[in-house]
Amino acid sequence: MSSTTAEAGARHAATPPARKGRARLSPLERAERRLGLMMLAPAVLLLCAVVVYPIVELVTTSLRFEHLAQPWMGTPFVGLDNFARAMSDEIFWSSTLNTVIYIVVTVPGAVLVGLGLALLANQPFKIKWPVRLGLLLPWALPLVFTGLIFRWFFEFNQGIVNNALMLVGMSPRQWLSDPFLAFVATCIAIVWKSSSFVALVLLAGLQTIPRSLYEAAEIDGAGRWQQFVEITLPMLRPAIVVALIFRTITAIQTFDIPYAMTNGGPGHSTETLAMYIHKTTIDFLDLGYGSALAVLMFAVSVVATSGYLRYTKRDPRKEA
Amino acid sequence: MAGVDIRQVRKSFGRVDVIHGIDITVKDGEFVVLVGPSGCGKSTLLRMIAGLEGVSDGEIAIGGRVVNDLPPRSRDIAMVFQDYALYPHKTVAENIAFGLRMRGASKPDIEKLVGEAADILQIRHLLERKPGQLSGGQRQRVAMGRAIVRRPLVFLFDEPLSNLDAQLRAEMRIEIKKLHQRFGTTIVYVTHDQIEAMTLADRIAILKGGHLQQFDTPDACYARPSNRFVAGFIGSPPMNFATVDIAADASSVTLGAGASAAVPQAARPRFDAAAGRRAVMGLRPEHVRPASGGEAATAHGAVELVEPLGAETLVLLRVGDAALTGRFPPEAKLRPGDRVPLSLALEHAHVFEEETGRALARAA
Repeated sequence: MSSTTAEAGARHAATPPARKGRARLSPLERAERRLGLMMLAPAVLLLCAVVVYPIVELVTTSLRFEHLAQPWMGTPFVGLDNFARAMSDEIFWSSTLNTVIYIVVTVPGAVLVGLGLALLANQPFKIKWPVRLGLLLPWALPLVFTGLIFRWFFEFNQGIVNNALMLVGMSPRQWLSDPFLAFVATCIAIVWKSSSFVALVLLAGLQTIPRSLYEAAEIDGAGRWQQFVEITLPMLRPAIVVALIFRTITAIQTFDIPYAMTNGGPGHSTETLAMYIHKTTIDFLDLGYGSALAVLMFAVSVVATSGYLRYTKRDPRKEA
Repeated sequence: MAGVDIRQVRKSFGRVDVIHGIDITVKDGEFVVLVGPSGCGKSTLLRMIAGLEGVSDGEIAIGGRVVNDLPPRSRDIAMVFQDYALYPHKTVAENIAFGLRMRGASKPDIEKLVGEAADILQIRHLLERKPGQLSGGQRQRVAMGRAIVRRPLVFLFDEPLSNLDAQLRAEMRIEIKKLHQRFGTTIVYVTHDQIEAMTLADRIAILKGGHLQQFDTPDACYARPSNRFVAGFIGSPPMNFATVDIAADASSVTLGAGASAAVPQAARPRFDAAAGRRAVMGLRPEHVRPASGGEAATAHGAVELVEPLGAETLVLLRVGDAALTGRFPPEAKLRPGDRVPLSLALEHAHVFEEETGRALARAA
């Protein structure tokens, strides 16, 4: 036994590692592999319980009729009926469109504001902590609180925004009951809340840019703006893309702030897909249809995430 | 082209003074190396010439024009940084062209000048690569390309070779020297490596603790160090130092524990300044040799350590209380514990004041 193992070892050492699909394993290797699988098992089981099981459950529910208000109907398999229903559901399309507009407005908005904040926080302040704290606070605040705070800001009678408008001689606006203004107000709240996360990501990116690059550029004759365009922006590109993708993934799921500020109103004008899913399942108890909507949203998130994963595999510094 | 005048320049960061009034005049076309241990202020001084640090007091002039209040881009200088500071997202060609582009050069001009610079540094085949794809030596060449392409008044080098391995460092040293011979541009070069300083410089400025210790040619710094610090800093292996008592008539020195050496007639003037006193004697390793043939030994030493280097052998000896390193011929087969008759070439000795380290009598 031991001599064959030794022989196998010698053969292995002499020949370059061949690409045999499933090489015969020595008892030692098999034992190691078994130990490895045992070590992995708890994590795999946990992942199955909290990720795989809910997703499978969601998908199977989306293929059934399941309405808690109509228990006598049972939960029959209905194939893609729920998805077909979504395609002809006006509110599905309007809430999807709202979500897309939220993404298109608040993601670049948050990145722009976040970039500004990051550049500000990267200045050589004597005392750094108030700036950093100011950056962190909106991030640390729960989303629903943000929604409630901004609802109060934009309130018609006592809101600080209308107060300010009146101070400069303008007439107060119906911020939360005009469809367009309500959208603007929720966007402002979302940008305020999410730009601090972007700022943190970009600040980390800014701090990895060596000072000597700016010094070299200064000697090379670049002014402040040229340094920003020629060095800061391109060097920050990976961080900006990461921030964009993270923000997009969370923006697809926009829920709390419009929920707390307008509850989707007036009408359905600020309702997002996530809010419509919530309404369908929790308010209307239509689990089958709500699950189908959730599967659609999940699919979009997966596409965005895979885009992110593909990007992070690349190293832009090594591209010729 | 232009020289650099540093007049009574001081620098403090907050309450900490790092440079205490330095005067250095770099002549047009001269290669000056600022050398010293870490924290001596050499890099700060270079950054002040570049305009990356403000001048707390005094004046810096480039080509006769005081530049204290000019931003770096208006000083017509180029700098090679220790970490090369190449723009990682730009290609080699874009890196080299950047300074020209910022100064509004035309596209054909840029292409021509970048091509020329690349040819001089033999990096034409790398022009389309990014810095991340280059080796350390190649990056170093790109950084130099970025500097020479603009034909500035002055080149500034901030420890440009310290990130390279020993062999590459020697190669690039030659490359830099060739560049200087080719362009004849004034160079101010910072290093902590005395070998770089000795091999490259027309004149060396040796700094310590923000004070200029000596500003002279490499030979002069080696042969006539102005103080004990310079004597110990320049030269490898470093100069031997021994505390000695000098006889009143300067005819002999005592190295403690009864070991004394006779001072030959010709060498006596060197010891006169400290005759009858205690002083520090400096003797370079090449002046500590085994007494050969009929030569009378000036002292005896006990071998403590032998370091064969091939062409020569370094021998650490104990003479009285003093530890002296000697450069011996490779044939000298010695072992620790051996007692060897020595010929100390005291006519080459340096004598330093014990307390201040100031050179009392300089070797001719």
